[in-house]
Amino acid sequence: MPLLDIRNLSIELDTPHGRVKALEKVSLTLNPGEVHGLLGESGSGRSLLARAIMGIPGHNWTITVDRMMWDGKNLLELDSKERRALMGSDIAMIFQDPSGSLDPARSVGSQIIEAMPRNAELKFWQQKKYKRQIAEQWLHKVGIKNPDDLMEAYPWEISEGECQKVMIAIALANKPRLLIADEPTTSMELSTQAQIFRLLAKLNQVHGVSILLISHEIETLTHWCDRLTVFYSGQVMESGVTSELINSPRHPYTRILLEYLPNEANPHAHKAFMPSLQGSAPALQHLPIGCRLGPRCPSARKQCVAQPLLIHEKDRYCACHFPIRYDENKHDHTAS
Amino acid sequence: MAKYLLRRLNLFLATSAVLMLVLFLATRMFPVDLGVALTGVEQPTQEQQQQTIKAYALDGSGFSQYVAFLQQRLGGNMGISMTSQQSVAGELVDVLPASFELIIVTSLMALALGIPIGVLAALSNSKATQNVIMALTLTGYSIPVFWLGLSLSLWFGVKLGWLPISGQLNLLYEIPRVTGFVLIDTLIADTPYSMSAFKDAVLHIILPATTLAVFPFTVVVRITRAAMANVMTQTYVRAAEARGLSTAMIVLRHALPNALIPVLKSMGLMLGAFTSYAIVVEVIFSWPGVGAWLVQGIYQRDYTVIQSGIMVVALLIIFMSILIDVLHTATNPLSRKELYATN
Repeated sequence: MPLLDIRNLSIELDTPHGRVKALEKVSLTLNPGEVHGLLGESGSGRSLLARAIMGIPGHNWTITVDRMMWDGKNLLELDSKERRALMGSDIAMIFQDPSGSLDPARSVGSQIIEAMPRNAELKFWQQKKYKRQIAEQWLHKVGIKNPDDLMEAYPWEISEGECQKVMIAIALANKPRLLIADEPTTSMELSTQAQIFRLLAKLNQVHGVSILLISHEIETLTHWCDRLTVFYSGQVMESGVTSELINSPRHPYTRILLEYLPNEANPHAHKAFMPSLQGSAPALQHLPIGCRLGPRCPSARKQCVAQPLLIHEKDRYCACHFPIRYDENKHDHTAS
Repeated sequence: MAKYLLRRLNLFLATSAVLMLVLFLATRMFPVDLGVALTGVEQPTQEQQQQTIKAYALDGSGFSQYVAFLQQRLGGNMGISMTSQQSVAGELVDVLPASFELIIVTSLMALALGIPIGVLAALSNSKATQNVIMALTLTGYSIPVFWLGLSLSLWFGVKLGWLPISGQLNLLYEIPRVTGFVLIDTLIADTPYSMSAFKDAVLHIILPATTLAVFPFTVVVRITRAAMANVMTQTYVRAAEARGLSTAMIVLRHALPNALIPVLKSMGLMLGAFTSYAIVVEVIFSWPGVGAWLVQGIYQRDYTVIQSGIMVVALLIIFMSILIDVLHTATNPLSRKELYATN
């Protein structure tokens, strides 16, 4: 049974330009113990999906979904109290905007300590000391050298990277079953990025934490994720096991993403023309109907004005009217 | 931080010096002899005249006159009242506590009711509740305080006869003056009727305090609501929700401390209007405070009372607004962020 199973989730936003469908019929299946990557450009609705799973919608959102199951329980039927309990312990999230996610009027330490799990064996006056110890251990694990100084500081006194580490420590401390990591390492130095990813991978392997990793870096995602889901402008393009998806992309968008990766091996690469998909991602108030890749898609045809359904085929999902077919023997890229 | 405090102290001293200069110049324009305006002695003897000239350096230059004026006034010599022939400083000591008492009770009422209602208005999902609260506060904000005071005393005092409408305490009770605050004095008085006197004092303060509280209450509600609505959309509140904290915890621990910062700031801005309202209320309810005393002095052309009344009220406003600013900085870590690299 999948840990998280979402079918046809749509999110509509009320904006001054009218109601826009920021996410359209998104489906996602996440198995226990899996690292699932959400790949897409910024603005493609990955963070909206994360917040919808987390259960913290914005005030101008309208969410419609056919099915949203968490470990066999229907998330839509839970009342707000049960949902809140689930959010604290089972699902945790690392936010994209780390310094904004910490209360500016309170010290970092008090906020970390507040989020640490209780130890049921201790009396209430011993809890604080215990929580502080745990907090320091976690801060150390996410790569903070002197936790005492950091805990005294206010969020606006520390760097964005440190805020991000604090948010990761807070998210991990409750040992969630699903961790939603929304661009968890954007403002960190490279060596720490690797450290954080190793920590996440260790959590995944040792404790079986499922991770939903949101990023726009194809290399990172392909390296760490078991499965990938490719987003474009609020629609799922393709989903599948990472190696298969990389080796034989079915959707034109995925293929273009992979083909147009900069080639570092070529010594003239930095002087050469950099191939890219023509046009730009549509703005929210001017979304095309049907497949949103349509206006930019090299293999678009008349049928593409109707949104293609996500078709399930041998553990692969692909939403395209004209998916790329591979001949078992020849392995060439010809659209059928 | 020390530098900041020094700057605020400097601001207080400079503003006060300007205030004293205005008073010093205004004293010259009173339609009486300068010596009379300064001391309040209407028929001074030769000896008294000489003394006044010496004390206020009236034969010296303008600057030395100003310095002498400052020395006299800040040293506590405000002359005598032209009507009662009592020392003005002594009268001030009598009337100031009553005003403080009224203002403290009023502020407590406004904050204790205004903050929860503002939070409620911000968090409520029902449009009806929000609209009712906003309509009521807008009405309260626009009601003229003199009309409200008169209507309340007419209704609750005269027609229904529930509450006394003038003074601080029934004249039947003889309470020794210790702190000057009647609510405290009646409680600590060693008399068999101290409890009933306390009840009487409470009944007396209800109408004036309610009248005066309407204005700050509406301001507090509106600002709390706006600040709270803003804070609740911030990412850190959503992050706290995502950590599984209950709504009550989020409001108390994260949202309210952030939302109260603008409330404190607005209190400082409100002080001037609040003080003039307090004067009106004191006159309507014959509250024996500095406002009623000052207005009476104006009616009677009691120049020394007018001068020192204005001086004390204005100094208090300056002091309070700077105190609120300092408190705002001391209690709010975010404002210390703004101090970085500014001095």
